[in-house]
Amino acid sequence: MTAPTRVETPRWTGQNYPRKEDRRLLTGQGRYVDDRGMIRQGYAHFVRSPYAHARIVSIDTSKLENMTGVYCTLVGEEVKEMTDPLFQIAPPPGGNMVEYLMAVDKVRYQGEPVAVVLAETRELARDAADLVEVKYEPLPPVTDAIAAQEPDAPILHDEVGTNVSWQGTYEYGDIDWALSEADHVVKIDKLHFHRFSSTPIECFGVVVNWDRGTDTIEVISNNQMPMFGAMMIAPSLRIGIDRFEFVSQDIGGGFGIKINLYKQTGVLALLSRKAGRPVKWVETRTEHHLDGGHGNERWFLDIEVPVMADGTILGVKARAIDDAGAYLHYEPLGAVIWSQVLPGCYKMRHFRIDYSQSLTNKCPTVPNRGYSRMQHLWMLERIVDVVAHELGFDPVEIRKRNYVQPEDYPYETPNGCVYDSGNLPLSLDKALELVDYPKWRERQKEAEGTTKRIGIGIGSTLDSGTNNFGQSRIINRELPFSGNGEAAICKLDLYGEVSVALGTTPQGQGHETTAAQVVADILGITPEEVTVIPGFDQARNSYVGFSGTYASQFAVTGINAVIGAANKLKAEMVELAALVLGASEEEIELAEGHARVIGDPERAIPFIGLANMVYTNNAELPTEVAERISLNCRHVYVPPFDPPDPDRKYGNLTLTYASQIHVAVVEVDTETGKVEVLDYAAVDDCGTRINPQIVEGQVHGAAAHGIAAALREEMRYDEDGQLLNANFLYYHAPSAADMPHIKTDWVESPSPFTGTGAKGMGEGGGAPLHAICSAIQDALGTDVPIVADSFNPPERVYRLLHGEGLGAGRGVEVVAKGGS
Amino acid sequence: MILAPVEYCRPDTVDEAVEALNSSPDARALAGGQSLINVLKMRAAAVDLLVDISRLEELKGIVRHDDGTLEIGAGVTYAELAESDLLGGDPRAIAEVAADTVDPQVRHRGTIGGNVCHADPINNFPPLMVALGATMHVVGPDGAARDIPAEEFFTGFFTTAVEDGELLKSITVPALADGTAVGYVDLEIGEAAARAVAVVRTEDDQIAEAKLVIGCLPVPTRRPEVEAALVGTAVTEAAVAEATAAAADGVEPLSDADATAEYRKAVIPVVAKRAVLAAAKGGHRG
Repeated sequence: MTAPTRVETPRWTGQNYPRKEDRRLLTGQGRYVDDRGMIRQGYAHFVRSPYAHARIVSIDTSKLENMTGVYCTLVGEEVKEMTDPLFQIAPPPGGNMVEYLMAVDKVRYQGEPVAVVLAETRELARDAADLVEVKYEPLPPVTDAIAAQEPDAPILHDEVGTNVSWQGTYEYGDIDWALSEADHVVKIDKLHFHRFSSTPIECFGVVVNWDRGTDTIEVISNNQMPMFGAMMIAPSLRIGIDRFEFVSQDIGGGFGIKINLYKQTGVLALLSRKAGRPVKWVETRTEHHLDGGHGNERWFLDIEVPVMADGTILGVKARAIDDAGAYLHYEPLGAVIWSQVLPGCYKMRHFRIDYSQSLTNKCPTVPNRGYSRMQHLWMLERIVDVVAHELGFDPVEIRKRNYVQPEDYPYETPNGCVYDSGNLPLSLDKALELVDYPKWRERQKEAEGTTKRIGIGIGSTLDSGTNNFGQSRIINRELPFSGNGEAAICKLDLYGEVSVALGTTPQGQGHETTAAQVVADILGITPEEVTVIPGFDQARNSYVGFSGTYASQFAVTGINAVIGAANKLKAEMVELAALVLGASEEEIELAEGHARVIGDPERAIPFIGLANMVYTNNAELPTEVAERISLNCRHVYVPPFDPPDPDRKYGNLTLTYASQIHVAVVEVDTETGKVEVLDYAAVDDCGTRINPQIVEGQVHGAAAHGIAAALREEMRYDEDGQLLNANFLYYHAPSAADMPHIKTDWVESPSPFTGTGAKGMGEGGGAPLHAICSAIQDALGTDVPIVADSFNPPERVYRLLHGEGLGAGRGVEVVAKGGS
Repeated sequence: MILAPVEYCRPDTVDEAVEALNSSPDARALAGGQSLINVLKMRAAAVDLLVDISRLEELKGIVRHDDGTLEIGAGVTYAELAESDLLGGDPRAIAEVAADTVDPQVRHRGTIGGNVCHADPINNFPPLMVALGATMHVVGPDGAARDIPAEEFFTGFFTTAVEDGELLKSITVPALADGTAVGYVDLEIGEAAARAVAVVRTEDDQIAEAKLVIGCLPVPTRRPEVEAALVGTAVTEAAVAEATAAAADGVEPLSDADATAEYRKAVIPVVAKRAVLAAAKGGHRG
């Protein structure tokens, strides 16, 4: 374990230092993938399947053969000859899947690429792609995750032999005992978490050149986890990781979706090799909707919840059926990642979750802000809310009664995860205060009997950050993954400049700023004097296998790598200064761009002097020192993890747990079912904040994504597997004008496990989905079916008001036991 | 962008534009491009010639005639409508609807002529023009000109009475009678899912005259039976609700990713009621 040194009296860390990257990003001077190009490049356009499920009978590219300006084509059969199938994370049966970089023989979702065309211009590539003639033999599609598991369902992948890609039971405590001992058992038929995407404003893009001279592949792209992409495609392309140079500068949002940019990269690399020229490809919005990747859809069935007379909830029994879409991209990791937050914010101890994952003829799912935990946390919040409404408990009191309490930390969950710190009751109080809760309860009473009902809802959620990749062994015990980490390089350059290279591939999170703040404190300079090199470049060698920004971890992995590298550099600088100033190392401080003797400012050497000693004047140094000190310090931060126990599905799966408590006040128009957000509060606790304003920005972004997901956004497939809203005309991503004013506050519960006290944050755990469903439930009361879907557009709420829910009857049943 | 190849011309006069439109059966007039360019991007229409009419002075301008009639050039943008002094009074609904149309960029490009000629069921102006009793002035080859009442102008899903080779030149809107106001209400689910426009004259807290048009249907549809039922109705929610209860009878809304036809039929009477009440209370939005 690395124990980073905490600067005792930070000057810059913790301040709202203005974002260093904003000057370029806000003045249109960012450099995104579509701003990049290479000499002699051609433009690629994919030919995509119009069918959700079909056999490819033939692909005829002959019309393109003599077309002026068309360089080359590539079809699935050629890809099959040149490559090996992709590595699968799943064990059999899912792991038996034979997946090439492009469809071969069969297509399994609408928009799946079957061929790619390279031409002189984007327009010509697009027109030429229209001339590729593909004959399909349509097959019956399966679009419903439950139906996909029926014995007569069409099978997507013959070699898998089933549409169930993974299944396992997560059992802790004794749920049968709890159900028999409880005073009440609340049974819920069905809950459904819908499919949506965080739709980054910049779609995928790749500029790739497979250089024939060096046999290396330069990839400029907006992949947010490039080394994962490299690990996926290198074996398929039959090359080493060292053949790649992945590069990015600015990325227009990722949210996890941009982890999915690897198959396309591999195909385009092959196209470049075949054409003997660089290839540029930028996805359109419709292509991104069809093929970029969606968040996981999930069903929860046969839920049983044991509740004591005092409102204590003992646990949950349920079946979960996840819908992975047509292929397993990053999946089935989601089938364990949810268990990082098994009991959510609550002290429930008894669980049995039968989890399975279906393959369906829809776009593959990929990590999406709140990945896999959000779905589970939403189920738990629905349960707490339904229990409160059905049994007559106050929704605030039942939460406070069941929350993990401030004195319980570090709190070990039934599956061995350790919640590091927090103060949930205080966070809830603050959120309620922000909206003036008593006022809204009054307004709610006044509105009774009118057509504009008011509801107040709470979303309690956790943002688990810094994965222990060992949890992948709970999915597949053969996987050689555990732990996590990040690299950074901190360097004193020739004239005394301080630079930092990251591995984190930022997508707008302000890493240049926060990294500069912590380095400035360690080296006694200002953040302005720290150059954080924008973006990612594999050639900088500042990466490990887990590098990237995803899963709420930068504030822990990225920042601790930077701190470690800066501390190493500081140690070298202090050693040099002690040598040249004739003092002991303990007497040296770094301040104002100098190394100086504490209390004797006349005895000082500027940074440029230290650099000179190493880079250009080394004969003055003892050889032993000159050979050891480089002023170019790489550090790998490794969080303290052990591999989990796959048999018991037990272990510490994530290092930190930020919490978000959201409160939504909504008005439900009972004549139309339309829901309007009247007031909204978000209280975030991510431990010690490095830059509070950046944290608040993340809170706003996560709230906007969640509110829109709850009310506006659904990737809607029809029964033929056609995506009905594959553009922003029909898919209603919000604008700022669509958002309510979001009131924010914070609690700071430093993490004892991260050195700095900071926790990863940013995903937000889907808190708005929980809060808005809860508010709608509160407005509708118990005369109508329960709010059983995470997506509540006007028609769904209207149907609830008219008695139509997801389950039988009201979708909920309360069994009173033991004479209570 | 990724349009199919298409010819483009920018004539200097309406006559030249009409001539160009008659040079090919697949010619289309391009005004602000806020709808047509999207159609071309999706390659959903066969167009071989774009006739750019966006700079034609003859299509610009808003004029108030002596009889109070308002004449609006087909090339007037939403932003110009929203900001026009002439629309500050009567009927201000046109300016308000224009001001509520999406975002500033679209408002500065999109035109009222384009909006009505594209005739997308979710477009703002078609039901409003029908409700206001507007007249569409269409020109054709060799100086031909036709006046078409708005009620006959919209003939189907994305289709109007403007024939190949013709061009909408302007729209006239009669002045509203004293005591008359417009109510314009829609239910938005990302886009408008149901819409009603009511023009109502009240006397002594009773409805003396009413026009009701339902939008978001293949064609903006007047509801004469409801209009008749409204006459003599007190301006109360209950009374108006009773009169508008049949507002969706016989109409066939579309189903899409946002809402089913069944749901839309259920909420049409609600928006109809709200539009009538808004108009009766002198406002525009309900």
